[in-house]
Amino acid sequence: MADAWVRGQPATLERAITEAAKLLQQSRLPVIAGLGTDVAGARAAIALARRVGGVIDHMHSAALLRDLNAMREGGMMITTPNEARLRADLLLLVGPGLLEVWPELPARLLARPDGGKRRIVWLCPGDGTGNLGAAVETIGKDPAELPVLLAALRARCAGRPAGKPPIDAQKLDALAADLTKSHFGVAVWSAAEQDEIALEMLCGLVKDLNATTRFTGLPLVPPDNAAAVQQASGWLTGFPLRTGFARGYPEHDPWRFDAIRLVDSGEADCALWISAFRPTPPAWSHDLPTIALTPTLDGFRRPPEVAIAVGRPGVDHDAVEHLPATGTLTAVSAGKSSSALAVATAIARITAVLPTAEPC
Amino acid sequence: MLTRLANGHVIDPAHGRDGIGDVWLRDTRIVDAPPAGKADATYDVSGKIVMAGAIDIHSHIAGNNENMGRLLLPEQRYASDFSHPGHKPQPRGAWNTGETGRLYAAMGFTTVVEPAVLPHQALQAHLELADIPIIDKAALTVLGNDDFLLNLLRRKESAEALRDYVAWTLANSRGLGVKVINAGGAAAFKDNVRSFALDDEVPGYGVSSRAIVKALQQAVNDLGLPHPLHVHCNNLGIAGNVETALATIKAAEGLPLHLAHLQFYSYGKEGPRGFSSAAARLAEAVNAAKSVTVDVGQVMFGQTVTISCDVLRQFNARNGARPKKYVIFDGDSNGAGIVPYDYRRTDFYNAVQWAAGLELFLLTDDPSRVFFTTDHPNGAPFTSYPDIFALLMDRDLRAQWMAGLPKEAMELTTLPSIAREYTLNEIATMTRAAPARLLGLKDRGHLGAGALADIAVYTPARDKAHMFRAAALVFKSGQLVVRDGAVIAESFGRTVTVAPARERTIEKRMREYYDQRYGLSPDFFMVPEAAVGRPDPFEAVPCSI
Repeated sequence: MADAWVRGQPATLERAITEAAKLLQQSRLPVIAGLGTDVAGARAAIALARRVGGVIDHMHSAALLRDLNAMREGGMMITTPNEARLRADLLLLVGPGLLEVWPELPARLLARPDGGKRRIVWLCPGDGTGNLGAAVETIGKDPAELPVLLAALRARCAGRPAGKPPIDAQKLDALAADLTKSHFGVAVWSAAEQDEIALEMLCGLVKDLNATTRFTGLPLVPPDNAAAVQQASGWLTGFPLRTGFARGYPEHDPWRFDAIRLVDSGEADCALWISAFRPTPPAWSHDLPTIALTPTLDGFRRPPEVAIAVGRPGVDHDAVEHLPATGTLTAVSAGKSSSALAVATAIARITAVLPTAEPC
Repeated sequence: MLTRLANGHVIDPAHGRDGIGDVWLRDTRIVDAPPAGKADATYDVSGKIVMAGAIDIHSHIAGNNENMGRLLLPEQRYASDFSHPGHKPQPRGAWNTGETGRLYAAMGFTTVVEPAVLPHQALQAHLELADIPIIDKAALTVLGNDDFLLNLLRRKESAEALRDYVAWTLANSRGLGVKVINAGGAAAFKDNVRSFALDDEVPGYGVSSRAIVKALQQAVNDLGLPHPLHVHCNNLGIAGNVETALATIKAAEGLPLHLAHLQFYSYGKEGPRGFSSAAARLAEAVNAAKSVTVDVGQVMFGQTVTISCDVLRQFNARNGARPKKYVIFDGDSNGAGIVPYDYRRTDFYNAVQWAAGLELFLLTDDPSRVFFTTDHPNGAPFTSYPDIFALLMDRDLRAQWMAGLPKEAMELTTLPSIAREYTLNEIATMTRAAPARLLGLKDRGHLGAGALADIAVYTPARDKAHMFRAAALVFKSGQLVVRDGAVIAESFGRTVTVAPARERTIEKRMREYYDQRYGLSPDFFMVPEAAVGRPDPFEAVPCSI
């Protein structure tokens, strides 16, 4: 089986590397996007973006930014999955999508390891609470009601009147009283399916509760190693994702450096698309010269100009990844490693054949 | 390759050198002048000052909390872009690993210690350290709020058990030393404790903060770690907390103990606002306690962000955030808080803090026991160091600054009465010779044969800040990396660690503990060399046992 293609035809890896470098070199504004890769791949991608004056964006930036916006607008109180597991006497699951982004949630969070009491309430779970069954009490259903419900809850926790809550007023008051009485409450959410206003309200509620008791938050992170790539972007550029280097130094702007917007508006004229954990195709609708670093090309509308098959981090090669169970970067051993190319290696080889940086 | 730095004013307090002479280096090391050798390269440094590369013992440059600060404050930049290679116009330096290494190197710093690595977050800290160019790095591992340790103390287990645990954690998190931060305070905060002092007990464990500090001090001593226990005391930032610092100094009981950023504990309750500088009293106690070392944590005016694992203190400071946002983190057996802050010249409290730091510098007699820090970025970003050197060396400059500060604040400090000016020799002791000794880095901080060729050359100037901001030449491990304040070569240094001896049984015990408490293998936080992503990323220094 070929591991590299140029314009849909099998090619040698050398040729694919050369063609990729040529596309990047000719580009006036390349986007380096997807970024489903390990930390080594993220380091290489960010170094390349710096080199070619490109833009970095992750396929799950929208979710990352929703959490980040709540944090950098007003702040946040957070904890780790381990501390939530060990300490929470009240677990407030908020909104839909939790089991989708963290399937191990029930195994890790339903019971206290010390056998202590843990009450679990799920606000507006949407369609499914999985098979959590009787362990969980649900309040509200439709996630669209969350902003109003959280606002009412926050008002009642602070002893202020609430307008018209989407749930029975007595039930609301009882929940507010329970939150206030908890000793170490933890709110758990996934920004992937969360309204930004609801998120700000939730973070505000958590902060308010700490006036008298301890309460904290556990934001669940999107897949494709988004959290680790965001961390790497933070230390390497000083900024989160959606950062560009066109001016020769890093600049961050969530709107300006949104890869989908850049591609669909025609501002970007070349894309390096990275999705090494699974072959997710880009979500933009405009076609542009694309270099794909993915395990396969499943789901691509048309073959990219250049495609190089890459290994799956942590499966085909050792990798540093963000682990949902610990909330930390962790060295994952692949066990048996395959010959598949790592993203970092592919990018290093492309970078190596770029012409030397112009003196400027 | 043999290099000669010719005819410079060589200041090397470790060898009592302070006069005109040469420094020779062969490849990466300093050598004695060869009897008949001819240098392959000669740098005429006549009229310039030659010192070893500077060492910063306490600067928060890497790890999850530092990075959280970056994400929280996209508007924050370094105060200067002075070192940028300068091909392109650049706004003030971005707050990232590359700029960190370049800005430090431009000032002649060649080794920097990140003082707060939480064991479970060690891998990220080391990935970040590895991405800081030019300088060498080290990390202090944070202990003192961890359930395993608190249980050892509660059960009154043996000193050997504690020692093995400290050694195991230190080795796996690749630390150079042990730091304790508001011992027990982060654990107590999870139980809704809002203030925590030296003799308060951690709920559920019945162990006092003092007992934790004493146990760790003993373990560090028993293990022969070169760096003494590095203590962040209780009650940081509170009026009257000088009593806490004095009590902690007393608790050293003649054994080595390092107290970090003492400025933040030098507050009395005098004056109409119940807030005053008690730095003079504290300096007197430091002068008397010969086994104790301190660093200052100088405050400078301007926007910064406070980043601390003292989650309890950060929580209590949250409503004073400037701008109004913060992150409070209840971590695994630990915690952290990131609270932005703008120290203002017009603010009475900030002016007292600024003066108290300078008092500590100037009233501590021995420059080898008081270390130069701003607790970056907590008191000020490290880019403000040159201005602080200038203040220490020039009483007229201090008088000019004081004239612009609230008078009522200056009346509550002794700073206006202090005439002392640091000499270059004292600066070299404080930033070179002494930190190398304090950290056990025998081949740094001096210019004797065998030392690593980390060398900073400065052009003397009336404006001392200018002199220290832009070194004329900097060599890192023998390579010329800075010329006239601009970085001209970017290599990568290493991270210095210790690997203390331990009983092998601790490995099994810790694996069982992690399985029982976390349902996980402790492998999740370990730092395999290959994961760091640079060849040969670590250098181990020996323990004395």
